[in-house]
Amino acid sequence: MATEIQEIDLKTDEMIINMGPQHPATHGVLRLLLTLDGETVKHVEPVLGHLHRAQEWQGQNRTWFQYQALIDRVDYLSGMFTSWAMARSCEQIDGTVVPPRAEYLRVMVSEMNRITSHLLWLGTYLIDLGAMFGFPFYPFREREKLFDLFEEIAGQRMMFNYIRIGGVLRDPKPEWFDKLKRFLDEFPDRIDEYETIVTQNPIFLKRTKGVGILTQAVAKDYGVTGPCIRSSGIPLDLRRTKPYSVYPELKFDVITFDKEGDTWDRYMARILEMRQSIEIIRQCIDKLPSGDIMGKKQMAGMRIKAGEGFAAVESPRGILGCYVISGGGEKALRFRWRNPSFCNLSVLHELLKGCPLSDIMAIFGSIDVILPDVDR
Amino acid sequence: MFSNGDEIFKISRLTIVWLAGIFTIVWMVCWALGIALPMLLTQQLGDKAALTNEILRAATPVIAILVFIPINAMFMVLIERRALALWTVRKGPNRVGPDGNFQTAADAVKLLLKEDITPTGADAVMHTFAPILFFAPSVFGAVPLLAAVTNNHPLFRVLNLPTGIFFVLAAGALPVVALVMAGWASNNKYSLVGGLRSAAQAISYEIPLVLSLITVCLMAGTLDLVKITEQQAGGILNWNLLGGGALTGLNNALAGGGAKALATSYFMGPISYVCAGLLVISLIISFWLYLTGACAEINRIPFDLPEAESELVSGYNTEYSGMKFAIFFLAEFTNLFIVSSITTVMFLGGGDNPIPPYILNNIPGIPQMVAAIRDSYFCSTLHIINPETFFATLWVIAKVYGLVIFAVLIRGTLPRFRIDQLMAFGWKRLIPLSLIVFIIVVFAREFVICHG
Repeated sequence: MATEIQEIDLKTDEMIINMGPQHPATHGVLRLLLTLDGETVKHVEPVLGHLHRAQEWQGQNRTWFQYQALIDRVDYLSGMFTSWAMARSCEQIDGTVVPPRAEYLRVMVSEMNRITSHLLWLGTYLIDLGAMFGFPFYPFREREKLFDLFEEIAGQRMMFNYIRIGGVLRDPKPEWFDKLKRFLDEFPDRIDEYETIVTQNPIFLKRTKGVGILTQAVAKDYGVTGPCIRSSGIPLDLRRTKPYSVYPELKFDVITFDKEGDTWDRYMARILEMRQSIEIIRQCIDKLPSGDIMGKKQMAGMRIKAGEGFAAVESPRGILGCYVISGGGEKALRFRWRNPSFCNLSVLHELLKGCPLSDIMAIFGSIDVILPDVDR
Repeated sequence: MFSNGDEIFKISRLTIVWLAGIFTIVWMVCWALGIALPMLLTQQLGDKAALTNEILRAATPVIAILVFIPINAMFMVLIERRALALWTVRKGPNRVGPDGNFQTAADAVKLLLKEDITPTGADAVMHTFAPILFFAPSVFGAVPLLAAVTNNHPLFRVLNLPTGIFFVLAAGALPVVALVMAGWASNNKYSLVGGLRSAAQAISYEIPLVLSLITVCLMAGTLDLVKITEQQAGGILNWNLLGGGALTGLNNALAGGGAKALATSYFMGPISYVCAGLLVISLIISFWLYLTGACAEINRIPFDLPEAESELVSGYNTEYSGMKFAIFFLAEFTNLFIVSSITTVMFLGGGDNPIPPYILNNIPGIPQMVAAIRDSYFCSTLHIINPETFFATLWVIAKVYGLVIFAVLIRGTLPRFRIDQLMAFGWKRLIPLSLIVFIIVVFAREFVICHG
């Protein structure tokens, strides 16, 4: 990629701007090399790796038990999903049977985590659009309530380490379900509140409608997944297309839009997904069976049988895959992650071509990229 | 559910404390320099003090502004942060001092003590000169407004200009040069884009802004700020916001003139009534146009593109730190205050009471209260309080800070425009609309006798 910069024909009126890694709106440490003609973007090149932590290599140098706790940090906004992907791939090798109560609990906490992730995205996306001090803090109010619930069951607010190989960590108390139900009862009203302020706001519509159109062909070419591809009209949702866990027993809609998705569609897809998540959690509470929650003994010297396995889950950002080779020892031989943020980010330069400088953040924000998830 | 009654109480308390403090200090400075000291000198020296007294009187308003601007900016920053916090379910600064009262004072000290950095490759002279040029117009631009907002108080009358609003607008157009200078001199691409954006934006939005004020001047028949304020005296129906005097006839009729007053003002019968209605609608649109244009002129959300944080880091002031940044910051808030003052003077009747006198004087207790204040020792002997000015100032404070809070509420609600949408909105919507309003006013005012 580095040679490509040399090939650009530099005219006198073009300007190269280095956006990031210390830019206030690049969601962490992404660096974008922008070639601007006036305020129009001619070319953009994302420069990655500022947050590379060798997460895959660490997987080979930590025991299974240690790596479980570490893997939450890859995508810090949706730790449940990374844990879940790893747990499922290891269970696949090991042949562990996960008790049904644990499966239901996994779905519940994951959908709760999907809501918190989308809520944070909503707040930060509006900051990207310049609603600097107004609306962004409303989603955080509900996010805090969910974090309180997570704290009760996992002891942690963001790095849960709750879904373990073989089951889940702790069985919630009955009061916890009451709190959750109370939250679910009031949360749809809160989503209505966000929509009242945002969805039909004329400035918001101007900034998002018809901006950053992601066509189906481009989305398929670059391996875009998650709400981004669904809002472009492709119903790719692992919970339906390749059902896992107890999703076949649950009723919910896969949110798709008929046309080519713009940033407004991606916003709307996430809002509607939050509503679907509420329904999923409600069904889980009703159907929750009693019984054991752990199918494998948790201990520091835990071993996984020799073999290799791959499992993917539908994370808030797209398909999150975990490929693991085990030699039967205390550590894995190889870990390989398929991170949705990385694949979704690769489509950025297609979307940004020819757009004005102000739209960079509107488009980049709508893809919902988590930089630790990109760099690992 | 989230309950914020306690927070509202705290913010109101903070506002009252600060406002009382600010205006007591400023007024005491004015009184000491402009009234007490000349009185004392005349007593001691007789005629020899005449020249000194003249100099003191001329210097008083300027010193008053220089004292007022920093304290006021500190208060406005604090109230903006607290009010925004209230509307965005946060707490805001509430740790430094009681109720967080000293937060901005601490911030100011921090900014003064910070290192003043001039980036490598920057044009040092321009870089230093830009904040000064940005700040200066907000000081001398405020001068003609003083007489208008203090009900033509003798102390500030000297500074009134026959073309007051023209001078204020001219001063308001100057900071753009400073922003382009700051952007260019910083040797930073973000700053440059920010500076150029601000130039484009200010030039586009000055047209609807000036046109909306011209309609008001057309209705008033003068550019003199004091005269415009005086014309609006006598209740909300006389204000320029509601037709620029088109409802004066109605006001007179309600005051006791009856059908005769109506017939005098609306001499053409039904046509006059229709025209008066048109004038009311036009002037309300003008008011809205002015607020929009002013928002763009002083770079506030949703028009804060020159310093759009998510795109340009901080725009033209990216490379500024310490004292220079503090001056930019100070001038921005002063500009907001000046814009609110212009709105108050031009549209909201200056220091006029919204309740007309024919209702107010019938409320038991009010006339007696006014008379008691007028006869008191402070007023009659020491001239500390002039009752007309006192009440007018109270109304001005309420109106101006109400508009400031309104600007904060807008900031707490709306996202930012994109630059091309901003330009399209300015040139394709606001300018045609302001021209239409202007033309309607030109014709409609011929059929109504305005302002008595």
